[in-house]
Amino acid sequence: MPDPADDRRPGKRPMSAKDAAAFEHRVSDLGERLDKVKAQRQAGADAELDAEMRGRGMAYGMRMAAELVGAVIVGGFIGIGLDWLIGTKPWLFLLFFVLGFAAGVLNVMRAYERMQKEIAARTGGRLGPTVRDDED
Amino acid sequence: MPDPIHQFEIHPLIPLKLFGWDVSFTNSSAFMLLTVVLVASFFMVAMRGRSLVPGRLQSMAEVSHEFVASMLRESTGQAGMKYFPLVFTLFIFIFVCNMLGMIPGFFTVTSHIVVTAALAGLVFLTVLTIGFAKHGWRFLKLFVPEGVPILILPLVVLIEIISFLSRPVSHSVRLFANMLAGHITLKVFGGFVVMLLGAGTFAALSPLPLLMAVALTALEVLVAFLQAYVFTMLTCMYLNDALHPGH
Repeated sequence: MPDPADDRRPGKRPMSAKDAAAFEHRVSDLGERLDKVKAQRQAGADAELDAEMRGRGMAYGMRMAAELVGAVIVGGFIGIGLDWLIGTKPWLFLLFFVLGFAAGVLNVMRAYERMQKEIAARTGGRLGPTVRDDED
Repeated sequence: MPDPIHQFEIHPLIPLKLFGWDVSFTNSSAFMLLTVVLVASFFMVAMRGRSLVPGRLQSMAEVSHEFVASMLRESTGQAGMKYFPLVFTLFIFIFVCNMLGMIPGFFTVTSHIVVTAALAGLVFLTVLTIGFAKHGWRFLKLFVPEGVPILILPLVVLIEIISFLSRPVSHSVRLFANMLAGHITLKVFGGFVVMLLGAGTFAALSPLPLLMAVALTALEVLVAFLQAYVFTMLTCMYLNDALHPGH
């Protein structure tokens, strides 16, 4: 960038008050421009992270569904199997179906805890461009 | 409209019978074999140099090794590193299968629950074996959480057992369902493009589902990696239960 003030760098000869002011102005201007670029980069990184976490959202949802349904199915099948063995149709099936549901909720709660940890580790507590941690 | 399920059909390439069982070499087997050959030859070529300053291929191999190793070390500690070969093989196999499935016209091995259930069952049995071998009957403490009143303990233990038994189910269903759903969605949107092109003036709308298909392809690549990662992550966690059942 051709700059008319280029040959008047500080340190070469004593600066006049006007030159010093111009130099200060240029420094602060450069600082502002750098801040702007930094802010843009941060916003870009935030948006990227946000998009990635959204993509993960679907995977997390599927995971929760699988945790819950899996336990209910297993409970139901255990009940049917025991009924068939002991001949208490349909009581054990009903009991284990409900127990399976309880186990499913337990699974979901545990998966949620793990998920929170994973997300916190990945994003450092920032869940999106608008939600910022106060302590930063 | 093209059938979105057609891509999952299994057909024998070399029909085989063993003791009356149908053990034909199918397109699914072919893609599993392709995956294994690709992975094995990649690592053999990549690690041939074994230089101190890695080249491009060697870096890729080392990064993937380090990725899985740190995942395993974080969740199981140093004690789990003995099972690194199993965990690494699972990750690479699933990842490459998923990625091969993203190539149009290729078969996705992991979109069949038979395959994912076999992998999850392998992990489940490994966990049981390690748990009982290392801790004997104390491994069963996994089902008895501490600090529960004796009155409701039997109920809690039953629930814990069901929860434990449901692991291989959700472990396998998750991977299979993600791959199946993703590939069907892609095919359906691709089908929309073709249908709209043949619908006279409505053909002007056909770029819309095409854009959607492009966006979905990017998402599917992410899912392909993520599901391999999640499967491996859970394997590490289950291994941790087998190694340290107290926690």
